[in-house]
Amino acid sequence: MTTTQTAINTFVHETGAWVASQLEACTRCGMCAEACHFYQATGNPEYAPVWKIELVRRAYEQRFTLGGKMRVAMGLDKPIRDEELGAWSKIVYEACTMCNKCALVCPMGIQLGPIIHNVRAGLSDAGLVPEDLKAAVQKQKEIGSPLGATDSVYDQRIEWVADEWEVDLPMDVQGADTLVVFSSIEVMKFPENIAAIAKILNKAGEKWTLSHKAREVVNFGFYEGNEELTKLFMKRVFDGARELGVKRILVTECGHAYDALRWTAANIMDVPDVEITHVAGYIWNLVGAGRIKLKQGALDDKGVITFHDACKIQRRGGHIDEPRELLKILAPNAFKEMTPNKEQAICCGGGGGVIAIKEADPQRYKVFEMKMEQANRIGAKTVAMFCSNCRLQFTDGVQKYNPPFKVAGMSQLVADALVE
Amino acid sequence: MNWSDILEFARGPFFYAALLFFIAGMLFRFTRIVLLGWGKDRVKSKGSKLGGVAKTYAKAILVWPFIPWVKNTFNRNPIIYIAGGLFHLGLFVVIFLGAAHMLVWKSLIGFGWPTLPLPIVDWLAAVAIIAMLILFVNRLINPVLKLISGPAEWLNLLVVFLPMVTGYMMTHHLFFQYEMLYSLHMLAVDALLIWIPLSRISHFMFYFFSRTIHGAQFGKRAVSP
Repeated sequence: MTTTQTAINTFVHETGAWVASQLEACTRCGMCAEACHFYQATGNPEYAPVWKIELVRRAYEQRFTLGGKMRVAMGLDKPIRDEELGAWSKIVYEACTMCNKCALVCPMGIQLGPIIHNVRAGLSDAGLVPEDLKAAVQKQKEIGSPLGATDSVYDQRIEWVADEWEVDLPMDVQGADTLVVFSSIEVMKFPENIAAIAKILNKAGEKWTLSHKAREVVNFGFYEGNEELTKLFMKRVFDGARELGVKRILVTECGHAYDALRWTAANIMDVPDVEITHVAGYIWNLVGAGRIKLKQGALDDKGVITFHDACKIQRRGGHIDEPRELLKILAPNAFKEMTPNKEQAICCGGGGGVIAIKEADPQRYKVFEMKMEQANRIGAKTVAMFCSNCRLQFTDGVQKYNPPFKVAGMSQLVADALVE
Repeated sequence: MNWSDILEFARGPFFYAALLFFIAGMLFRFTRIVLLGWGKDRVKSKGSKLGGVAKTYAKAILVWPFIPWVKNTFNRNPIIYIAGGLFHLGLFVVIFLGAAHMLVWKSLIGFGWPTLPLPIVDWLAAVAIIAMLILFVNRLINPVLKLISGPAEWLNLLVVFLPMVTGYMMTHHLFFQYEMLYSLHMLAVDALLIWIPLSRISHFMFYFFSRTIHGAQFGKRAVSP
């Protein structure tokens, strides 16, 4: 079977009425381009979201619709060819964070993000995934983490965090209420986040636990669009939850993982009957329930602080208000919004697996420049966020450009402001 | 065969055939899509799907058409918002609130409604025609539109443009004899009716699918659509 045919078969398999009706609604007006930070930053027309879904559109029309068949026969539309597929791989993997901002701009309201995910699924089955991403996915499949956190590395790191920050990190506690699953970005690069979240939960008297089985929340299979691996990586988390009999899975600062576990899993696999929630919402719940108290105005004397909306946690995750409520307590006077913000915010540029692909660096930095300018315009001294993938991108960008602001994880800010 | 014969054909048998093709074609496409199957959404909602749907329609019908600049992409490409909006406005007014067209509707469905005075309709028709020309030029020069436009897109513009322009010339008795213009207008309308089910002009039907999905997806996540 040719690669084209494999890709087309996947598109066809994934095309139900949900996808088809939206593809039919597209008027090809091109407005979605104006929403895309990759298009805005580079001006490359191939980065227009409508072009990113071109493959699924052709596959669908030419396979399912009389009009489409007729147009191909009359030479009014092009069939998909093998030699073209590789070019699309570069577009949909290296210049899309799947942030779905385009859906807000589309006059028809088409969910372009999820449809671009379908394009990735087809390219993944055709074996046309960028090498760097493929390697990271393989690593997660084989050793349980795309960042090289093997079982023993994980143990060492957790033990070290417990020592270094003097926090209690309960492991494999049968019958705990909450299973906390960290991403290996946190384990390997932002270990202070683990300590911060542990401090908050311990302070709240939460019965929580880590799990060896469920030790990686990141889902590189989901980045790739590989459904089998997406399910495998989520199954590891769910198996851990089942084994310990928890009531809820608390996803830490990883956006794509949250999108997968919270908003996708139930529709593609068996999920245990547990609440799946994100630390962004959960911390606010703890404050609201009076289980933790924060020092009012703790950050007010440290200059302007702003909040960066992560696409998968805010716009696609639904936790838009909670971080702002937290910041209103921590910095009632110093907190300032960037423009645009909330569901309209633009991405950091590194999400959707983009930061894992070296070839994507030029456009990734260009997008970051836009984000940096937004922060600078309001004179931000601190940019806070709830996603460690964004934070990785910000940290990298700050190193390269040296802007006048520093990057902070929200959990860390909250933990530092806990009232004893 | 003279123009009266052509006119008789174009507004008689050919019109009804085209109309039938249009209705059957749209029904076929509607059924075809619905029968592809809808997966059940087993994900637990954070917010209300219904609320999201209501909000997105309210915004799309009551807010954006009147104050498009609240969309933060407006400034990046105002031409497409303004020309696109005026084109649709003109089209709707002409088709539904022009006296001559209302009479066609009345003969088809049995009842009529009050219409707008001719000068207003006429003026909006002119605006719509100019907007179409602007959209055409925009499609020629905008790099994204250049990339995504194939023959089908150009044909769409032409097939909508012809009834508009012949209709306008007809009301003003411009350049050609009336019967000829009337015939050309009817032929263009017939062509449009046939082309709609075969093309993306059918988006007026699928709009309701995608807009509803949009509202439900954002509402489910408790995010403003």
